[in-house]
Amino acid sequence: MTHKQQILAAARGGKLDKLPFGARIDVWYNYHSAHGTLPDKYQGWSQTDILRDQGAGAQARFFAVTREEYRDMEVVETNDPPYITTEYHTPFGNVAKKELFDSSEGPWIRYEMEKLFKSEKDYPVLKYVMEHTEPADNFEAFNKLREEVGEDGMVMTAAGGLWSPVQRVMREIIGYEQFFYELADRPARVEELIEAVKDLERRKLQVGIECDLEIFNICANWSDDIQTPVFRRYFVPWFQEVSEFLHSYGRLVMAHTDGEMRRLNPLFRETGIDIAEAITPAPQTLVSMREFREQLGDEVTIWGGIPSILFEPMYNDDDFDNYIKNMFREMAPGYRFIVGMGDNLPFDGDINRVGRVVELIDKYGRLPIEV
Amino acid sequence: MADFSLIAQALDQGDRDKTVALTEAALGSGANPQEIIAQGLQAGMAAVGEKFSSGEYFLPDMLMAARAMKAALEVLAPALEQTGIPTIGKVVIGTVEGDMHDIGKNVVATFLSGNGFEVFDLGLNVPAQKFIDEVKEKKADILGMSALLTTTMPVMGRVIKGLEEAGLRSSVKVVVGGAPVTQDYANYIGADGYAHDGGRAVPVCRELIGK
Ligand code: B1M
Repeated sequence: MTHKQQILAAARGGKLDKLPFGARIDVWYNYHSAHGTLPDKYQGWSQTDILRDQGAGAQARFFAVTREEYRDMEVVETNDPPYITTEYHTPFGNVAKKELFDSSEGPWIRYEMEKLFKSEKDYPVLKYVMEHTEPADNFEAFNKLREEVGEDGMVMTAAGGLWSPVQRVMREIIGYEQFFYELADRPARVEELIEAVKDLERRKLQVGIECDLEIFNICANWSDDIQTPVFRRYFVPWFQEVSEFLHSYGRLVMAHTDGEMRRLNPLFRETGIDIAEAITPAPQTLVSMREFREQLGDEVTIWGGIPSILFEPMYNDDDFDNYIKNMFREMAPGYRFIVGMGDNLPFDGDINRVGRVVELIDKYGRLPIEV
Repeated sequence: MADFSLIAQALDQGDRDKTVALTEAALGSGANPQEIIAQGLQAGMAAVGEKFSSGEYFLPDMLMAARAMKAALEVLAPALEQTGIPTIGKVVIGTVEGDMHDIGKNVVATFLSGNGFEVFDLGLNVPAQKFIDEVKEKKADILGMSALLTTTMPVMGRVIKGLEEAGLRSSVKVVVGGAPVTQDYANYIGADGYAHDGGRAVPVCRELIGK
């Protein structure tokens, strides 16, 4: 079986003879490519080729299979490196955000210095922006990457936003702290905005479903700072709706659950999501892999298990090996489990430890794992 | 005689309007503003912190309480003009260089100031030398550093070394935190304290300066 087949089989509950492994190294790769510091052997190589050389399945990342187009408003982007300012001019008024984007350090996520939301008067403008944003397909770019990865792994992507609608409002549009103040002071306005973002997301799903991707990532970056009652009230029904929609087309549903999950784990099973990806256990969080398995249940596929701090020089090879061996035992018998990173190889991590995981799987990851 | 426990309760519930109204009433009835702070507001914040650390409360509960506290302190500000707002210590805090994560640091800063510390927030992506200069200038009791990336964690160790070289290490306690940071790591770089979350940051800082 190819890496891709193994990953998909595990996620569909198939019985494999050994643990599949989908490794993610883009943070490490982007940083070292930008600085010209990739190991000599790998100078000029692609991420996928490096992973092939290490013997691991690839977990490549692509933003989304749709992109946004705008109608009946003017969107002006001003690039003044390292800042990018985006202004939305609508009949209801204007909103703007200012982002810092410095890819020289490798990371590709923009940091928002200024959020779109500034005050109560922005609500109608933001609603207008969401209502007049139209999704268009972005399949060509996605398919190009998918071809490059081929059978050697999976390209993880979303139909629309990286985050689910509520998180988009919370983290991107209003900002974390202000979101909770707004939710306390003006719940109806926040809910109205969430509905507008949901509606846009539904339209993206309608476009995205035409793409034949097997797994849809429907929400990145879960962690306990998403307050549990807020999660129960606003996130869970949305996940249920989207999971039902995607399942009706035979697709698998994934969430990027990369943070401290101690308090969200019990709610995961209510969402209908099939795969909890980037699972990051102790010592980076407070939850062990055994607890993850117990709390998420046997029907959910867990993808992850190696916290990124383990790739750091602070942990020597023996620590690393012992951790992995023990982690496999905690996951016994090992079905519905894809070995992966929580969530990436860090900049100063050792790439050869990816190959080390492959060797450890060969020795200790034969299924079923017996304790 | 004002009932300070009601103020503490309102704050515990994150009810800004009620906290402000009760603070105004207490002040109007002649209560000592310092006592309103210590027995009402700070007592309420301490309860919130404990409930957060024990898992009863969530992060936003702390934020709501801190917001209520801030509003109440504004009510008290004119009455405190002579004496100033009583502080239990000075904290210089920031997210280390190369790191653009500030949500956790903001929560910790908000919570420390809500609990009576005077906080100087240097923001994010703070160069090591800036931490050292500010510790010196502000005569800080505590330096708080936050790092969310495994790759920026070592910067905290470098700042500690810099404090030693500048002859400031013995005059300031260093507290570190952030998702990938652990107690072991804090020990490894020679920090004085580590807090897993914003609720723990307050007692850790208090213990370190004996307050
Ligand atoms: C002084 O004493 C103290 C005491 C206690 C202290 C303390 C100080 N500081 C914190 N605490 C403690 O108290 C707080 C309150 O209880 C807690 O603070 P926390 O900060 O832990 O908790 C906050 C309240 C909530 N948590 C957060 O705010 C972090 C959430 C996650 C989702 C996250 C976010 C939001 C962001 N990110 Co980034 N991000 C992730 C996180 C993954 C996750 N799901 O958790 C993490 C931290 N990010 C990561 C990465 C890799 C990155 N991020 C990046 C960017 C970003 C955004 C800008 C998009 C955004 C930050 C926005 C902002 N203004 O802060 C990039 C780096 C940019 C940079 N140079 O810093 C980029 C490299 C991604 C990329 N490819 O570009 C990962 C770090 C992995 C690692 N091992 O190093 C990460 C764990 C995700 C992952 N699973 O891989 C405690 O830790």
